[in-house]
Amino acid sequence: MGSQDVHSKRQHHIDMVKGDVAPTVLTPGDPGRVEVFASLMDDAKKVAEKREYITYTGTKDGVPVSCTSTGLGTPPTAIGVEELIRIGAKNVIRIGTCGAIQDFLKPGHMIIATGAVRGEHTSEEFISMEYPAVADYRIVRALVDACEKLGLPYHLGIIRTHDAFYLESPWALGDFRIRLKPWVDMGVLALENESSTLFTLCSMQGIRAGTILASGYSILEEHDEKIHHEENIRKMVTAGIEAAKLLHERGLA
Amino acid sequence: MKKQHHIDLIPGDVGETVFIPGDVHRAKFIADHFDDAEFVAHKRQYVTYTGTYKGVRMSVTSTGIGCPALAIAVEELINVGAKNFIRIGTCGALQKYVKLGDIIIATAGVRGDGTSREYFPLEYPAVADFHLLEALVQAAGERNVKPHVGIVRGHDAFYAESILANGDYLARDKEWIESNVLSVENETPTLFTLTTVRKCRGGTILTPVGHHLFPDEMISEEAMKKAIALETMIALDAAVILDSIGNK
Repeated sequence: MGSQDVHSKRQHHIDMVKGDVAPTVLTPGDPGRVEVFASLMDDAKKVAEKREYITYTGTKDGVPVSCTSTGLGTPPTAIGVEELIRIGAKNVIRIGTCGAIQDFLKPGHMIIATGAVRGEHTSEEFISMEYPAVADYRIVRALVDACEKLGLPYHLGIIRTHDAFYLESPWALGDFRIRLKPWVDMGVLALENESSTLFTLCSMQGIRAGTILASGYSILEEHDEKIHHEENIRKMVTAGIEAAKLLHERGLA
Repeated sequence: MKKQHHIDLIPGDVGETVFIPGDVHRAKFIADHFDDAEFVAHKRQYVTYTGTYKGVRMSVTSTGIGCPALAIAVEELINVGAKNFIRIGTCGALQKYVKLGDIIIATAGVRGDGTSREYFPLEYPAVADFHLLEALVQAAGERNVKPHVGIVRGHDAFYAESILANGDYLARDKEWIESNVLSVENETPTLFTLTTVRKCRGGTILTPVGHHLFPDEMISEEAMKKAIALETMIALDAAVILDSIGNK
């Protein structure tokens, strides 16, 4: 199949064509979070909805930005991201929640990933495990600057992406602390389920990718409070939109 | 503290930033670019000079070729107070648009080596320190150099995967060429994983001296010397930038 064909067609899963998304697309896992994005834009319209892929495109302070949910996990993320690239996405920024695993992380803190542990299998179907899941340094810079501008505390570092939520979470079957100890000791900041495939796929194709996550308390500690507050999620989405604006200003969108 | 077993150094012998070329003879070449430098130690392939550049104290320690020897040097240098590690080296280019003598700054490394696997699971990414990476990019820009910024592959067996290899090295390279890997070398994945986990900074600047797609092209001695001098000056400037931002 020629590449022309692949790029001009309506994409099979995300149900969109070229022109439907802005150069910068924010990709939450949760389809519900796309509405949060829409509420923070100056104007945003729903462009498509099929399966777990919901897309809004709009502008903020004159800059076009899109948001497409990927669903949970790397298999649908790989499909969503691949199709977004085919219709012209140049910057893909995951916005999401996570399970923090360092005790200095608190609710309201943002985590900006420089790289991700490839604890999932989808990316391995694309390329050997030796290949690094690394975020694009210009997106990392835009996210850092966005957090500083918004006065949000942030941490920069490596996160762990994996597949089996019920093996590595506070609700896990079995002793998740034993599984997590090597990563805690290596300084990994948090667990989530999408970034390493996003980073790998985008690096392979010369597309910029990054991730910002809203932290809660460490899942290794006991807390009665809700892990994630809506207010902190809104702040994280706001930082993602701000980063999209900075990328546009810097000629990267 | 006793002298470190291999590098033969004690705390105070090195600055916070240490340049780590693979080539033993490049230690003096790099030190010659400082404003002043003194020879400190030489044991096995580990040659160290310490001095200053623009008022910042810094050092150079050669590691020899490969990740096993590099890991020893980095561990022992951390023990004596080093915090920022900048590999200055050569490599084999993998992409058509990368030319001999160009400057490459690594964002991450393909973990084709054995040493980093002995330390850390293969899923763990070998990424450069973000601030050191930015310092190298900024320093290159200030010298009007347009670097290639991206992923490099570090591996162990030079004679399996170089233009001097026995056998079809391009068949081995295919996966990396198709996934935007800029070049091949022998130290970066262990440098990046080890420094990240030890909460230090690691960075790599390279110049290609051979090209896997154009194996008959070789760089002249003079052009190679010029390119290595240029990457050295960029690395020195990056060390000064790092000193100014502190422990961010």
